Amino acid sequence: MAMQSETPKAIIRKHARFQQPTWLENVIFLGPLLFFLLLLYGTLMWTMYVSLTDWKTVAPDYQFTGLKWYRFLVSQPRFEVDIVNNLKWLLLGVIPTVAIAIFLAYFLELSPYPKVEAYIRTLILYPVAMSFIVTGTVWSWLYEPGRGVINTALRSIGLDANFRFATNPETATYWLILIFIWQYLGFAVIIVQSSLRTAELQELVEAARVDGATRLRILWAVIIPNIRAGLLVLISLLLISTLKMFDIIFIVTYGGPGISTDVLALNMWITTFQQHLVSAGAGLGVIIFFLSFVLVIPYTIYAFRKWFS
Amino acid sequence: MKSRNRAAYLLVFLILLLLSITYLVPIYVMVTTSLKSVEEINRGQYLTPTANPQWSNFSEVLFGSNRFRSEMASRLFNSVIISFSVTLLCALFGGMGGYYLSRTPNTFSRVFFILVGIALYLPYQVVIIPLSVLMARTGLGQSYGGLILSYLILNVPLACVMLGTFFLSIPRELEEAAFVDGANRVQLFFRVVVPISLPAYASVSIIIFTQVWNEFFLALTLASRDTQTVQVIMAEAKGTTLVLYNLQMAAALIAIAIPLIFFLLLGRYFIRGLLAGALKG
Repeated sequence: MAMQSETPKAIIRKHARFQQPTWLENVIFLGPLLFFLLLLYGTLMWTMYVSLTDWKTVAPDYQFTGLKWYRFLVSQPRFEVDIVNNLKWLLLGVIPTVAIAIFLAYFLELSPYPKVEAYIRTLILYPVAMSFIVTGTVWSWLYEPGRGVINTALRSIGLDANFRFATNPETATYWLILIFIWQYLGFAVIIVQSSLRTAELQELVEAARVDGATRLRILWAVIIPNIRAGLLVLISLLLISTLKMFDIIFIVTYGGPGISTDVLALNMWITTFQQHLVSAGAGLGVIIFFLSFVLVIPYTIYAFRKWFS
Repeated sequence: MKSRNRAAYLLVFLILLLLSITYLVPIYVMVTTSLKSVEEINRGQYLTPTANPQWSNFSEVLFGSNRFRSEMASRLFNSVIISFSVTLLCALFGGMGGYYLSRTPNTFSRVFFILVGIALYLPYQVVIIPLSVLMARTGLGQSYGGLILSYLILNVPLACVMLGTFFLSIPRELEEAAFVDGANRVQLFFRVVVPISLPAYASVSIIIFTQVWNEFFLALTLASRDTQTVQVIMAEAKGTTLVLYNLQMAAALIAIAIPLIFFLLLGRYFIRGLLAGALKG
């Protein structure tokens, strides 16, 4: 009897201990994560400080010089080219991708043939497993003006194809963005599809159909307003990827012809590791950081609200 | 009604055709070109398959030759070592951290979680300069350790958030029962929580593996001659062997082989991982 009367107390004590981890448990579970976070935020601070110093050769120089290198950056014509190109990437890399993805996802939902859906999903999703470097290598060849695949194929069916693709400074950036859209479309479709497949939305669509709404009307008035959360996630991710875009440009044009396809991330790498203007490069890194921070604010608010509720 | 049906069929057909061309032509051209000789490529019939496949193109790319000096076999090995190590360590550290944060609902955990969340969006550009200084000073840059550490810094937070979100969704009763039976928290985590979370671990691992395998910016900047990854050697090969498209395409196929096999065999986990990574939080 004495044993039995003690057991519930012991259980309560143990439950309390379950809520309250011991000191050692804190270290074991959080230690590694804390170590990597400290390194991450440490290097972030370090970069910010470097951008305010006078480090302009291979050898570090931590002499504080304020905003000197930011002024230098802004005075460069190259900076303006970067901003314009980054804006093109942000707008043209995100809006068409999202629009096509919504259309395709809806199309796949409507399609009465499950085999068609499975085929298209695999077809447009395989580039997700590829790197931008590989995609860029392949597309460089498709794009080559003289003997490239696209121009050659078009000529062989009798067209007078002389596309200059990524070698025309006026339009090169657009052709690069097309590679990005090609690679990310499958990913975007998957995300839109998963937000289409909620029970509430299916009911709303069914109700609208019973009311006699056309398919396009349903898409516009019922579906899009109800998948806002999914779209916010998708748009934020695409914005971040396009803002940081480095690989495709590096491999296909290296910023050329001239500096016509240069962007902040490429400029940052060349400035830091080719020209060794390390403080200026750090400044570009900090600028990219703040821009990405601003771009994900709406998503961050949404995500934290969801996590903590 | 009938004409409407026909229009719908036509639309389905057009979309299928358009998507098939844009997505099959690149991979088809990659495969056929990788098996051709230079003379055959010069004929300009890129879309016809070769009658005389040159399998030696692949051995040339893997082991190097006079016209292709960037041999890939050792870089493939480097990429395998680095990507697998990062994936394993991320699953371990990220899982433990994510578990802790999902089970201790206090202010400290919330602050911690916000710091982890922000970390997901930090561009590599903002950590690369200190990292390259650290690599040079400590000598880590000469070994795999340097690149592995650098990848861990940004991928452990990702694994932490993805796995933490998953742990939130599993009931605590199971753990509490095991706890009352006298298991400590570490045993509890590895014996009770991890086994029922293996599908989540699979998704997270496959996403992190693919990301690290395909990463270029850090690898380009931090890798030494001995730790170069597949992506870096691809970029180098493109710069130096501008006209040898057959070898370039063979190299590209070798570079995508492992992630692509994962994608084709484990597609379900791959897609789940993509969704979990995207809808994290």
